[in-house]
Amino acid sequence: MMKRDVHFILNGRQTTLSVEPRTTLLRALREYGVTSVKRGCEEGECGTCTVVVDDLAQKSCMMLALEAEGKSVLTVEGLVGPKGELHPIQQAFIEEGAIQCGFCTPGMIMTTYAFLRKTPDPSEDEIRAALAGNLCRCTGYIPIFRAVQKAAKTMRELGHFPGGAR
Amino acid sequence: MSMLAFEMERPRSLAAAVEILGKYGSKAMIKAGGTDVLVWMRKHAVNPEMLVDLSEIPELGGISFYPHKGIKIGAMCTINQVAEHEDARRYYGALTDACLSHSDPLIRNKATVLGNVCASVPSGDMIPAFAAYEAVLHVYGPEGERDILFADFITGPRKNVLVPGEIVVSATLPLPAGQSTGCYIKLGRRNALDLAQVGVACVAIEGEKGREYQLAYGAVAPRPVRAAEAEDILAGQTSPDAPLLEKAAKAAAAAVNPITDVRASREYRFSMVEELTKRAVSLCAERFRGGNA
Repeated sequence: MMKRDVHFILNGRQTTLSVEPRTTLLRALREYGVTSVKRGCEEGECGTCTVVVDDLAQKSCMMLALEAEGKSVLTVEGLVGPKGELHPIQQAFIEEGAIQCGFCTPGMIMTTYAFLRKTPDPSEDEIRAALAGNLCRCTGYIPIFRAVQKAAKTMRELGHFPGGAR
Repeated sequence: MSMLAFEMERPRSLAAAVEILGKYGSKAMIKAGGTDVLVWMRKHAVNPEMLVDLSEIPELGGISFYPHKGIKIGAMCTINQVAEHEDARRYYGALTDACLSHSDPLIRNKATVLGNVCASVPSGDMIPAFAAYEAVLHVYGPEGERDILFADFITGPRKNVLVPGEIVVSATLPLPAGQSTGCYIKLGRRNALDLAQVGVACVAIEGEKGREYQLAYGAVAPRPVRAAEAEDILAGQTSPDAPLLEKAAKAAAAAVNPITDVRASREYRFSMVEELTKRAVSLCAERFRGGNA
């Protein structure tokens, strides 16, 4: 099948990839080397492939790469600051021990990123509902919820929301 | 398993989309959000040669609300866009409940309300609400435009009356004639990412002849079910007592014809249709009292 070019902004950089129509955004990103985006169930259930597309959290296995044309795609790689400093969400996940095997972590962080931009001061119930589409098979949900709470607090105190490269 | 190879077009107008669909006939499939069709393609359950992506057609977006007409939802409106829409939340409680019960918050950023309806799967969460609000689908195809009453739309599991080349452009849910409230209760095995074992939409309307109810059921028959007899039993009652609720619940169970599958048995679904009917009617009464009408 003929490959076609798709042009989009990936973590702040204009990017062109050559893909088949059947290539999902998930597979295109991984092939390009963006391996924070994990391949889990590949049918929209597990959430470990979550990326942020134009400010909305999306499961990248449910999006064809060609659909990213003209959009802005953000992954965990784009959250890290210019000098390698971690984003407050990443820092909070480390401090709260919200990582066991780590496979769900990038998806959890990207969902949290989109969620906290919209809901800077969330309740516990709102956090649980927001992360309902991200599965942690180590079942370490409680520290994850604490990490989201902590990241929200840090950013409220900072007075701004580090944007990530966009 | 990967998807088999296919071609994709992303037309920028309805006319172009219909032309491509006409050219490929039964070898083409339509994609709106894609959260259903991509999964099916990955399982090789469907293998279109041509996938027509509707997401670049400007006139398919948007939600508008006119009190004399109702709410009009475009084909590319995502489930979250409808769930968050102020007029939808205020006047179409059964629909917004259904939106929030669908899959999870991420999939709802992609999946569309009309895609759920057009997939025509018996457990589709939007379907009971479309039946209860008596939606009208606006369709564009090779023969021009036509409107289809939702009651006539779904003919069986994954089957509807659309002919090849036709696209559902938007749907109108008329505003109930009188102050109203509505709810959708979904029974699943977990709160997120599950298909309904039973779904019940109830709309309660303060009409000229008193309170009226519109009850619709999903996942309990090949087609969506309206429980007309149960609606008649409840008509005129603002807060039906237990014996009357019981009678209506039995009438609702008599209207459905569920199957046994991996999610629930036929017998369990019958019992749950009864239970959820009572809960849905009571919840509507509660929402009326709470001023949420």
